[in-house]
Formats: sequence, structure tokens, C-alpha cells
Amino acid sequence: MSVLAIEGLTKSFGGFTAVDDVSLRIEPGELRGLIGSNGAGKSTLLHLIYGKLEADGGTIQFDGSDVSRLPAHVRARKGMGLVFQLTSVFDALTVEENLMLGALPKKPRTRLSVDREDVERIMALLELNDVRYRHASQLSHGRQQWLEIGMVLLTKPTLLLLDEPTSGMTRAESRHTAEMLKQLQATQATDAIVVVEHNIEFIRLVSDRVTVMHRGQVLADGTIDEVQANGEVQASFLGRLN
Amino acid sequence: MVALLVLPIISSDRFLIDRFGRYFLFAIFALSVDLIWGYGGMFTFGHAAFFGGGGYIVGMLTTRSGWVLPVPFWMALVAAVATSALLAVALSYFVFSGKGALRGVEFAVVTLAVAVIAERLANAGGSVSGGQNGILMQSRLGIPGVISLHRGYGFYALTGLLLVATYVGLKWFLQTRSGLIIRGIRENEDRVDLLGYEVPLIKRRTFVLSGALAGMAGALFYVHEGIVSPTAVGVSASTLVLLWVVLGGRGTLLGPIIGAIILPHLTASLSGTLLDTWLVVVGVILVLVIVVFPSGIFGFLSKARDV
Repeated sequence: MSVLAIEGLTKSFGGFTAVDDVSLRIEPGELRGLIGSNGAGKSTLLHLIYGKLEADGGTIQFDGSDVSRLPAHVRARKGMGLVFQLTSVFDALTVEENLMLGALPKKPRTRLSVDREDVERIMALLELNDVRYRHASQLSHGRQQWLEIGMVLLTKPTLLLLDEPTSGMTRAESRHTAEMLKQLQATQATDAIVVVEHNIEFIRLVSDRVTVMHRGQVLADGTIDEVQANGEVQASFLGRLN
Repeated sequence: MVALLVLPIISSDRFLIDRFGRYFLFAIFALSVDLIWGYGGMFTFGHAAFFGGGGYIVGMLTTRSGWVLPVPFWMALVAAVATSALLAVALSYFVFSGKGALRGVEFAVVTLAVAVIAERLANAGGSVSGGQNGILMQSRLGIPGVISLHRGYGFYALTGLLLVATYVGLKWFLQTRSGLIIRGIRENEDRVDLLGYEVPLIKRRTFVLSGALAGMAGALFYVHEGIVSPTAVGVSASTLVLLWVVLGGRGTLLGPIIGAIILPHLTASLSGTLLDTWLVVVGVILVLVIVVFPSGIFGFLSKARDV
């Protein structure tokens, strides 16, 4: 069973069709790159997947159930974890409190009970131990991004969605993020990962398979080598980058 | 802080003791606002609707006659807290639910409208609300024939205990799951939503808790004052409490208490000596303090201690 199965997804804004009849499947264990030029529709597709936007047509099956009409927080509870493009941590809370917000049970309860071992494990994985009592606002951009990834991982997502995770990162931070994602995939911290990126070098480092979007549609789909060899992709996206 | 709380006890000035009892109720009101604004990021311009509303409920239930009325004060107090909570439930369902859920300025404007409407209703309420004259209270705090808590040390002890209980209760609440989430909401509501939490539910709960606290403080305050009038539920009273919170330190528990004691005390002291200019002097002091200590007096003291 696919982790995510999108069929005929469409979204228009006025007369402009941002996502046009897109179908896509993400399988367990996969780390999928989603690339495309500006305005290709990849961010809109991401917003549709996690529930910020409601599709005009098509369906989104997540882990075997239709989530097309569910609000974002219910999709999150079902195991969809999103890491924003612009770092989205809780500035005035400590690193530890940020991670606890990820780890807390989502159903209403009064007690503040979290799996401490999980928090410690993620903190170690993301090398945040030394700053656990610092406010998130005091971290570098890269470490804030890792903190957000940690927070989302603590929700135990089945599918981890990352929207341009290397945006604003240094080259070293981007490389480190790539290593971390590969490690997450290897340790099966989450069933599948989807990375939306502009940074083709980063995608080359992390993704097994790449989907290229162009003008709201899927232009190509395959391994990075297959996609790079595709003439249409070269003309519409890769050619412009080279 | 302890000195502020203990000062009246060692003073023999019964008027001062009484005044501090009033400040303690202001402090509970300020804490109720700080809970939703300082900790929850929901800026409210209309919280006096709960504070003054508590006073009106007690006034109406204890002074009007017919059906089961009048009822004893303590019963009216429970009703005031419950009515404030219910008003908060109704308002929070309206503003926090669904796709049109309000945030930021939109929420502030709605609360402002609530205060305006509440003041108009109080003015236009005829014999029910007493119109422009308001309601003259007939109840006294305490247990008739047993103990009077209406003035002096009794009032001071009652309000002091309630303030301590409110402080301890809120400190506990902020350590709970809901407390951590509400602080997260203040920082980044979308992130909290996408971690899987039901943001409107948490906001509603916090708002209801805040409304009930304000209602309780207001009910006791206006019974002690002996009268409740339309300005009690209006914009000016709603703005005043914001000043206490800002002055003391928003997003802290001790800050609003400090603000709710210092500013009214300063106002009361200066109004007795500077008959014509006291309001200007208070305004200048307020502006200076906020410019010099943007995080409030307690915020400044905390930072100074950390340095």
C-alpha cells in the first residue's frame, strides 16, 4: 500500500490552474524529490497534500484512507509531518520545550506526559543537546531548521514533507541536512519523505526518485539520472539551471 | 513583591489595607488578561465585559426581586463566574471556530466591539441594569452574623488569598499540556496546528478560564465598591487593564500583579496631591516606563538578574 496516493488533483486560483490533474504515488521507504521552476506548482501541491488548501478536484489517499477533505491538524494527527520553508519554531520557548510540543500526545489530556527517551534520542540525532535550555531564537538558521525537523519527527510521522529545507542554509548546513535525511531514511524514522527543493545538488544527494513539475503538471518522474536525461526536463527546468 | 503584599499588614492605615485589597482584585483581572494576551497571543480590547459583567450579574441577582430573586451573594457570585464563562464560551465559539477563525487585529476588533456593545446594553438596560446610574449593591462580602470580609483586614485576606490561589493555579496551568500549547500558539499558531493540535479548542479553553477569572474578580470588586455602572464593562476599563499588564510585564505572572498594584496606587496617590495635573503626570510616567522597559518592570528586573 502506498504511503501517499494522489489522483487527478487540481487547484485553480481564478483563471490560473496552479495544479493540473496531478497524480503521484509515494511508496514506503522512499525519499522523493519534488522539483520544478518557480510557479511550477510544487508548493501548491504541497499545500494541498497537508491540508492548507482544499483541492478543486481529485483525491488524496494517505496510508490507505481518503484525507482530501480533512483539516490540516487531523492530517497531522494521522501522521503527516510538515517542515516549513521559512523556519517555523517557537522562538520564545527553549529547544527542549519546542521538542516537547512535538512529542506531546495530540488528544486532549491535562497531564504533560511525553516520551522523554524519544525527546533525548531526537535531540542527540540533531546535535541539539548543548543548546537544550536556550531559546529557539538564539539558534542559527540551520539549527532552527533541524529543530523543526526534530519537532515534526517527534510527532512520529508516517510521511515527512519538507518544503525547501535548505533555503537560507550554508553549504555545510545543507550537506549536513542531506546526511541527516539519509539517516532518517535508513533508520526508518518515518515511512517516507518528500522534499520540495530548488537546490538540485541537494536533491541529487538525497533522493532516490525525482518528480519534476512544470506549469502545474507532472513533467517527468524517475531516478535523478533518468530525469536529467529527459529532453523536456532539460528544456523546462534543468537547462535553465546549467 | 513580597513587600508589596505584606506592606499593608504592617501598616496601621486601614484605608491603605482596604486599597490593597482592591489592587489584588485588579491583579486577578490583569492575570486573566495576561493569560490570553501575554501567554496566548490573543490581544483583547474588551475584557472588562467579563470583569464588569461579573459585577452586573451579582448586582442584578442580589438587588432585583421576582421569581427566585434576590438570591444570596455567594450564590450570585457562582452565577457571575458561570455567566462570564458562558459568555466566553459563546464568544470563543464565534471567533475561534471554523475557517473564518479570527486572529490578531481582527480578534482585537471583535473584543472591542464586545466592550462597546456591553456598555451600550448596560446603559440601555432600564430597570434591569439600572441604566446610566448602574446598580447600587446591597450585599456585603462575608457570612452575615459570622464574619465580615467587606472592609479592612478581612477584605485584604480574602482578596490576597484569591490572588495567591490564582497565581498558583495559573502557574500550574502553564506547566500542563494546555499551558505549553497555548504558549506555542502565541509563538506560531500554524506550527501548532500542523503538529496535530486542535488550536481552536485550546484557545477556547484558555479564553473561558480567563473570562471566568475576570468575572469572579469583577463580582467581588463591585460588591466591595457598592456600585457597578456602565463604564465598568466598557472600553476604558478594558484599556486600563492592558496598561497594568504592559507596565508590569506581559507574558509573566508576577508582572501583571506588579502593574495592577503600582499603577492604580500611583494614580490614587497623585490624584490626591496633584489635583489638576495628576493624569498628565501618570501618562508621562507610563510612557517613560514603557519606553525604557519595553518588557515591563518585571521583564526588566528578570533580564537584569540574568545579566
